[in-house]
Amino acid sequence: MTKLTRRTTLATLGAGLAMPYVRPSWAQSGTVNVYNWADYIGETTLADFEAQTGIGVVYDTYSSAEEMQAKMLAGSTGYDVVDHAGIDMPRAIAAGIYEELDKSLLPNWGNLDTEILRILSGWDEGNKYGMPYMWGSVGFTYNVDMVNERIPDADMTSMDLIFDPENAAKLADCGISILDSPTDIMLMVLKYLGLDGDTTNVEDYQKVVEAFKPIRQYIRTFDNTNYLNAIPNGELCAINNWSGDYATAAGRAAEAGIDMNLAYFVPKTGAPAWVDVMCITSDSPNRENAYKFLDFMMQPEVAAGCTNYTYYANANVPAREFVLQEILDDPAVYPDAETIGRMWAPKPFSEEQDRAITRAWQDIKSG
Amino acid sequence: MSLSSRSARLRKWFNRRGWIKITIATPYIWLALFFLLPFIIVMAMSFATRTPTAPPFSFGGDHPVMNTDHYARLFSDDLYIRAYLNSIGNATLATLMCLMIGYPMALGLTRVSRSWRNVLLMLVILPFWTSFLLRVYAWMGLMGTNSWFNKLLTGAYNWIVPSDMALRYIPMMNTGFAVVLVTVYSYLPFMILPLYANLEKLDISLNEAAMDLGSKPFQVFRDVTLPLSVPGIIAGSLLVFIPASGELIIPSLVGSSSRPMIGRVISDEFASARDWPMASAVAVALLLLLVVPLMIYTYYDGKAHEKAQKEAT
Amino acid sequence: MSEPATNIGAKVAQFPRAAALAEKEPPFIRVEGVTKRFGSFTAVSSVNLEIRKGEIFSLLGGSGCGKTTLLRMLAGFEDPTEGRIFIDGQDMTDLPPYERPVNMMFQSYALFPHMTVEKNVAYGLKHMDMTASQRADRVREMLALVQLSDFSHRKPHQISGGQRQRVALARALAKQPKLLLLDEPLAALDKKLREATQFELMDIQDKTGTTFIVVTHDQEEAMTLSSRLAVMDKGRIMQTGTATEVYEYPNSKLVAGFIGSINFFEATIRDVRDDVATVDAPELGATVEARAIPGLSPGQPITLAIRPEKLTISRSKPEGPNAISGKVRDLAYFGKDSLYRIELPSGRVLSINSVNSRRVGENERVADWEDAVWLSFDPSSAILLKD
Repeated sequence: MTKLTRRTTLATLGAGLAMPYVRPSWAQSGTVNVYNWADYIGETTLADFEAQTGIGVVYDTYSSAEEMQAKMLAGSTGYDVVDHAGIDMPRAIAAGIYEELDKSLLPNWGNLDTEILRILSGWDEGNKYGMPYMWGSVGFTYNVDMVNERIPDADMTSMDLIFDPENAAKLADCGISILDSPTDIMLMVLKYLGLDGDTTNVEDYQKVVEAFKPIRQYIRTFDNTNYLNAIPNGELCAINNWSGDYATAAGRAAEAGIDMNLAYFVPKTGAPAWVDVMCITSDSPNRENAYKFLDFMMQPEVAAGCTNYTYYANANVPAREFVLQEILDDPAVYPDAETIGRMWAPKPFSEEQDRAITRAWQDIKSG
Repeated sequence: MSLSSRSARLRKWFNRRGWIKITIATPYIWLALFFLLPFIIVMAMSFATRTPTAPPFSFGGDHPVMNTDHYARLFSDDLYIRAYLNSIGNATLATLMCLMIGYPMALGLTRVSRSWRNVLLMLVILPFWTSFLLRVYAWMGLMGTNSWFNKLLTGAYNWIVPSDMALRYIPMMNTGFAVVLVTVYSYLPFMILPLYANLEKLDISLNEAAMDLGSKPFQVFRDVTLPLSVPGIIAGSLLVFIPASGELIIPSLVGSSSRPMIGRVISDEFASARDWPMASAVAVALLLLLVVPLMIYTYYDGKAHEKAQKEAT
Repeated sequence: MSEPATNIGAKVAQFPRAAALAEKEPPFIRVEGVTKRFGSFTAVSSVNLEIRKGEIFSLLGGSGCGKTTLLRMLAGFEDPTEGRIFIDGQDMTDLPPYERPVNMMFQSYALFPHMTVEKNVAYGLKHMDMTASQRADRVREMLALVQLSDFSHRKPHQISGGQRQRVALARALAKQPKLLLLDEPLAALDKKLREATQFELMDIQDKTGTTFIVVTHDQEEAMTLSSRLAVMDKGRIMQTGTATEVYEYPNSKLVAGFIGSINFFEATIRDVRDDVATVDAPELGATVEARAIPGLSPGQPITLAIRPEKLTISRSKPEGPNAISGKVRDLAYFGKDSLYRIELPSGRVLSINSVNSRRVGENERVADWEDAVWLSFDPSSAILLKD
């Protein structure tokens, strides 16, 4: 799926800081209720929006995609704008929780990257419901020195480094961590095994289970968040994660003054891409303001501000002008053409697939 | 007006206005509203069928109104049974360790001077003033392979064992040990406080009487203190065991993925698989597994009490 | 209580026997210079005691006088700060409670609530070298002694307060201790039960021959029960003796005041002849004679004490040296006796107990309100106290 639990710690500690900004201007222009990943917006974005439009933002965050999905499926949330995982859009659309966007109210729509829109249309045909916000890949972060110490001249672009039991055994003591997100990792392994990543044959999932068996004992943990602290502490050396988290972990190491040679790779056998989209709920109480917010988010400077703070690539073409050069140059965040070529947008899952994949994943984890 | 007649008047007013009924009814209303009603909803949901709608389940339609598949799956798929066993095993171990650590602490609390007692009780409760999550993260920091704590332990270990058995670090994170350790740490006050409340009420002269009749301190403990603190042991153990059985956060953060825990299974069914009916069935089964033995115990305990009362009269 | 308090005389008759024993045998329990300090507070101060085998010895005093602390040191729950404790010639001072041939009956009874009456009584026996059947026999015997054989399977909360008291006694006696300590044994019982139980306790003591030390704050209880008693105050023993000695020959104002009621007057010694002292008592408005005590000299200030029942009231001036005039301020008729309160010319008010030995009507009383009367007492009944 997409980036699951991100920065749970910060979300917990920062809940107070993420409270809505109280402004008297609300009286005139009203408010807009936004529900987004914790720590997933520019530093001044909300304040800028309020200054520009006079609309107050009631900002609420989540720290796990499941938490958000459960809340949205239960209904009557009162949110206007929600950040949702692209791959999960078919289900959200079917459940009728978002409204079809009126593009005439979104003059900045033209700023969006058509390539990203194309990928997204696999989950949201005709891009009717979602405005792409951030995007990225699933891959592996390696602590290069620790890995080379154990396996000289390791090929970090190949998943053999993890799935060959001989390699895994060597890396076990420096720490292998796998994303606890079956829809990301299992699809990568299908591709690695030479199978169709979008297979609808649930028997294929059993082959993934088999592939994990010989290396299961060498995997230290299945986790979506803790590696952000464990990587800077040198407690892991091979980490399956989302592209932006690599940069966050590297940033934390630098902040702590730890000299660490980290590298992020999208496996050469292929990896799923993810796109997060912003949607307007079908029962939005402040519909007009929701459109204003979405359009604001598509302003190039605003989109760039978000990227510069979160280290995730945005889907806004003119925004590149305002994105920090070091981020633009980081292939983990803005992958080069060759890397993009290895990424694909997985097809949405059927109910049967969903259940089979969850069950297979439980088998993999419990070894 | 005398004090007693004033309080009598107050009581009369209280009764006349029906306040007494409200006072008695409040906890029941609370329970009905915030426990029974949600439980009925969860129970009902466990018989529903999963659908791609919002909310993601429905009754009837192409499926039976009472869909019992989820309960059947509880038994047909060994994952659930393993998860229940792991969770209950883990909770049992944690409860026993809490008891072994908490009992001497609670007993110690009753034996120190009053001023010290307040300070020590404060220290027992103090960890609650820090976020639970933060404390778990602190343990993760301590147990990590590169932490000073782990290095210290590793150093000590390597110093003792022959060099060919030396370790680079002691594997603590993501192990069953870590889960029990953090569970014990987190729930210890829930064991100490009811035990302390129980032990504090025990008449110290009972201990003196036993000693006077020839029992050495250990025998006094075995014959008098221990049997009389059984209610405290039960209360403390339940307060630790029940939440520890359904614990989600600790196994998720420090546990080993190879040991599925029931809290995690519920969470996965609910969130990852979006199978709300299945998650509900697992939750209902967990509740029955925990509450039914408790109800049986309470029932028989009450009966034994009644019997004793009857004999006396 | 099932056994009525009959035949008091027979029970009291044992005291001379104890006194007789006292003459022959060495002391069974010896407390030598025992002091107990808690921080800067001295609970028991240099106490010396000698108690004979088979005695019922009472420690009498108000709360905080140190009597319970002394008892707890005998049991072994407190270590003396100074001094030694011997029982049957053996030094007990450093032995823990579970190694002393001493058992205690607690004020709260301290019955084990989770054990039946039978198990409570048997508890101490399991540490003894006995066979199971010997143990069962002993328990049966003890329960029979306290008349609780039918209640052996009850739990303590299923029996009455008086029954609980007897279970506590049976439990404490089961090990046949050399010394039984009883901490306020009757305090938790109501008045009627208390009186009956007193005699039952004495009866049981007589049957078992165990030495009893009783702590009590109730002077009547102490006097009824004990062969001898010690009055304690502020950690010290003020006086030791039989009930009669302590009542009739108190050695201090404190002991005199603590046991029974008494009238005190400031006085000065005028003259001492043989065993009679002549005393000026301005508050009595007279010079009176009293039994002398050793170490008196003329001019010495002294306290004259007279118990209310030692005074005789009459309308005309009686013969003899000790006659005092006064006026009836108050009178209370109790049936068997009457209490008069007489105002003396000095303004002091004095209490008199007069036994109503004759049957008289309302108008034939010795004295009535506002009557002028004479009071007299025998010189031997007047007590002189130095402090």
